[in-house]
Amino acid sequence: MVPLAEALPLVVENLSFRYRDRDEFAIREIAFELEAGKILLIAGASGCGKTTLIRCINGLIPRSYKGELTGRVRLDGQDTADMSLSRISQIVGTVLQDPERQILGAHVFTEVAFGLENLGVPREEIIERVEETLAYLGIAHLKGRETFYLSGGEKQKVAVAGTLAMQPSILLLDEPLASLDPASAEEALTLIRRLADEGKTVIIIEHRVEDVLKIKPELSLFMVEGELRYFGPTTGLEARVDYHEVKLPAPMILEKARHDPPPAYVPPALAAARNGPLADFRDVAFAYEPETPVLRDINLSIRAGDIIAVLGPNGAGKTTLVKHAIGLLKPKQGQVLLEGVDTRELSVAQIAHTIGYVFQSPSHMLFAPTVREELAFGPQNLGFDQETTEQSVAEAVDILNLKGLEDYPPLGLSFGQQKRVSIGAILAMRSKILVMDEPTAGQDYRNYMAFMNAILGLPNFAAILFITHDVDMAVCYANRVILVHEGTIAADGPPTEVLADLELLRRCRVVPTSLLSTNLEHLPRTGRFMPAEALAHALSD
Amino acid sequence: MLIAWRYRERNTIIQRLDPRARIIFMLAMLFSIIQFWDLRIMSLFLGLAALQFGLARLTWRETRRVWILISFIIFIMTTLTFLTGRGGVATAYDQEHLIRRLGPLSLPIVGWQLKLDVTAEKTIFAVSQLARMYAITTMAITIPYTVDPSLYGVTFKGLGLPDKFAYAMDLSFRFVPTLGRDFSITLDAQRARGYEVEKLSGGIIAQIRRLAPLLVPVTINAIVGAEDIIDAMDLRAFGVGPRTWVRRLTYRRADMGLIAASALIFAGSTALAFMGVGRLWVPEALLKLATG
Repeated sequence: MVPLAEALPLVVENLSFRYRDRDEFAIREIAFELEAGKILLIAGASGCGKTTLIRCINGLIPRSYKGELTGRVRLDGQDTADMSLSRISQIVGTVLQDPERQILGAHVFTEVAFGLENLGVPREEIIERVEETLAYLGIAHLKGRETFYLSGGEKQKVAVAGTLAMQPSILLLDEPLASLDPASAEEALTLIRRLADEGKTVIIIEHRVEDVLKIKPELSLFMVEGELRYFGPTTGLEARVDYHEVKLPAPMILEKARHDPPPAYVPPALAAARNGPLADFRDVAFAYEPETPVLRDINLSIRAGDIIAVLGPNGAGKTTLVKHAIGLLKPKQGQVLLEGVDTRELSVAQIAHTIGYVFQSPSHMLFAPTVREELAFGPQNLGFDQETTEQSVAEAVDILNLKGLEDYPPLGLSFGQQKRVSIGAILAMRSKILVMDEPTAGQDYRNYMAFMNAILGLPNFAAILFITHDVDMAVCYANRVILVHEGTIAADGPPTEVLADLELLRRCRVVPTSLLSTNLEHLPRTGRFMPAEALAHALSD
Repeated sequence: MLIAWRYRERNTIIQRLDPRARIIFMLAMLFSIIQFWDLRIMSLFLGLAALQFGLARLTWRETRRVWILISFIIFIMTTLTFLTGRGGVATAYDQEHLIRRLGPLSLPIVGWQLKLDVTAEKTIFAVSQLARMYAITTMAITIPYTVDPSLYGVTFKGLGLPDKFAYAMDLSFRFVPTLGRDFSITLDAQRARGYEVEKLSGGIIAQIRRLAPLLVPVTINAIVGAEDIIDAMDLRAFGVGPRTWVRRLTYRRADMGLIAASALIFAGSTALAFMGVGRLWVPEALLKLATG
C-alpha cells in the first residue's frame, strides 16, 4: 500500500537552498503538503523566498540555478532529484510572473503547441490538444493571432494555455496578476478557481493577497525572510500575518488597525490650486497607424496641486497620453502646451526641466557604475552646476532612503531598490511635475505604501501624475482621477466622484476593491477616501 | 518578450512561395553576387533583388527605418573603404589611374599629413561596393517582412538544421526587432532625463562613453531577457529529445522552379567567375578623365 504522503501531488520536506553566489540561505527548512484540487496561496514580502521555493518545485533549482540544496520535493510520491526537467514539467506547469517573459511563440497556436512539440507528441494529437485547451480557456478566437499584439489579459491566458496543454497536475503561478488590469485579473482568478475545482492543484504566489482571497484558496502559506511562518487553512492567515506586510481586505484591516497606533498617512490636498495650467492638452489626437487611433479628443489641464491617478485597462492609451506630456510623442492633431509653449517647439531635454518621467521598468534606464553617478546624470544633462548637482543628488539619496548605497552599481541592486534609484534619478532633476508609470508594480505592500507616502510628502513637485492599475492607489493618494478608456477620457474629477460611479468603472474595466467599497460606505461620515488603516482610526474618533 | 518583424499577409507571388525555396534563392544570390565586382553584372543582380522587393509589394513606409539604418551602415563602410583605399587593392584591382589628388593637409599638433588620391579604380570600386551591398540587403530585407514568423523554425528545420539550431535561428530572427524595441524604450527613458544623443562630442572614446546610457541598459536587458527565455524553454521541456514540428511546409511546382533557378544562377556565376568574367570594370570615361 502506498503511504498517504507519497500519494499526494506535492510534498515539500525540510527544503533549504542557498544560491551559489550568496552567503545567506534564500529559504530554510520549508515543509508542507498539498492535496489535489486545492489552491495554495503563497504570500510574503519581496525577497522572502517565494520565487526560490517555486524554482525548487518546478525543478529550475538545482538544474538552472546552482547552489546548496537540502531537503526534498516529492511530486506524486516521486523525489524530483531523480526526475528530469522534462518529466517535472509534465507534472508541474509553471506560469511565470510576467507572461511576456514566458511567451516564446510568434503566434498563439505555436505558443500553445511549444511544450507538446518538445515532448515529441504526434502532430495530430498536438493540434487536437491545442484546440481543446484554447476552447477550454475561452480563447479559441485568438488561435491565429500574433502574441505580441495581444492585450495583457490575453497574454496571461495564452501563457496558461501553453502550460495547461502539457496537462500538468500541478499549476504554479508566480504573481499572475502583476501586469493585469483589474478586470483581467478578476477573469484570471475565476479561471484559476475553475481549474482547481476540476481537479488541478494550484499554487499561486501573489502580492495582491486581497484579490486572491476572493476565490477562496483552501490553504495559505506565509513566508518571512526565507522561513515559513504560517501554513494552514486560509481562514487562519488573517490572524498570523502583519497587515502592514500583506495587503488584506479592507474590513479585516479595519478590524485589526483600530487597536494599533494611527498610521503616518498624509492625505492629499483635496483641492488643487486654480492658477494657470502647467500642462494643457487641447483636442489632442494621436495614432501610430492612421487607421487605428490611440488617442482622440483629449482635453485636460494639469495644474499646481494636482495629484492625478490615471486609471484604465491595458491598451487604453494611458502611456501614450503621458508620453505626449513629456514630448516623446507629438500629437497628430491638436496641441500639448507646457507652461504655454507648444511641445512641438520644445526638445525632450527642454521639457525635462518641467516634467520628470519615471518609466515603468528601471532596467531600461539604469546604466551608471554607481548610484551617485546615476542620480547625477539627469542634473548634468540639464546643465546644473556641480554644486547644485551634488545638492540634488544628496537630496534624492536622503528622500528615497538610498544612504549607504551611493557607491553601489544600480544594476546590482534589488528590483525595489532599482525602482527607488530610478525615481531618485528623476527627483534630482528638480522638475516641476513628477510623472510615474506603474510606480508600485512588482513591489510588496509595505514597500509601496512607504514609498508612496514618501513621494507625496515631498515639497519638490508642483504636481504629480501616476498611471496605475491599482484602484487603491487612486483611493489613498490621488486628489484627481482620470479614467482613460479606448483612447478617450471617460471621466476626470475628484476620486470621491469618479470612483463612486460604479457603472462607469465597470464600463472602463475598473473593478471596485474592498477598500473603495468600504470608503464609499463611510464617505458620508469621513468626507474623503483614505487607506484602511487611517479609516479605522477616522471611524473610531 | 521576443517580438516578430512586422508581417502581414499580402497574397503576393513572393509570399505564396515556400520560405525554404526563398532562403535557398537568397543564399544562391548572395554567393553569386560576392563572386563579382563588375558594376554591369551587379546591376543585373540589383535589378533581380529590386524585382523581388517589388513583387513582394513592400512599401517604403513600412521598411523606411530599416532602409535608413542599412543605408547608414553601407555608406559608412563604403566611405571608409574609399578614404583608406584598402579593400579594393587587395581584392579587385592592382593598378590605379589618378584623377585628382586632394591635400596634403597638415593636421595641427600631431603634424600628420592627410591626402586623398581619387583614382578611377577606387571610384568605380566604391560604386560597385554600394551596388553589391544594396543588392544583398534588398534581397535579404524582403525575407523578414514576407515570411510568417511562426514558420521560421520549421523553415530552418526543413533546410536540414537540427531541432535546436532551427529553433535558435527562429529566436535569433526575432531577437533583432526585440533589440530594436528595447533600444527605443531606453532612448526614450534617457531623453526624458535630458540626454541628447545628437549632441555627442569629443573624440571617439569620449563619444562611445557618452553612448553608455543607451548601450548598457540595452545589453543588460538582452542578457536578462535571454535568461528568461532559457527558463521558459526549460520549463516546457525544450531539447529533451526529437521534437515534433506542428507546422508543415510543402514544396510546389513554383518552389521547385525557384530552387532550380537558384542552382542555375549560382552554377553560372561560379563558372563565369572561374573564367575570369566579372572582375572590376572601369568605364572608359573614367580612365579618360584620369589620363586626360
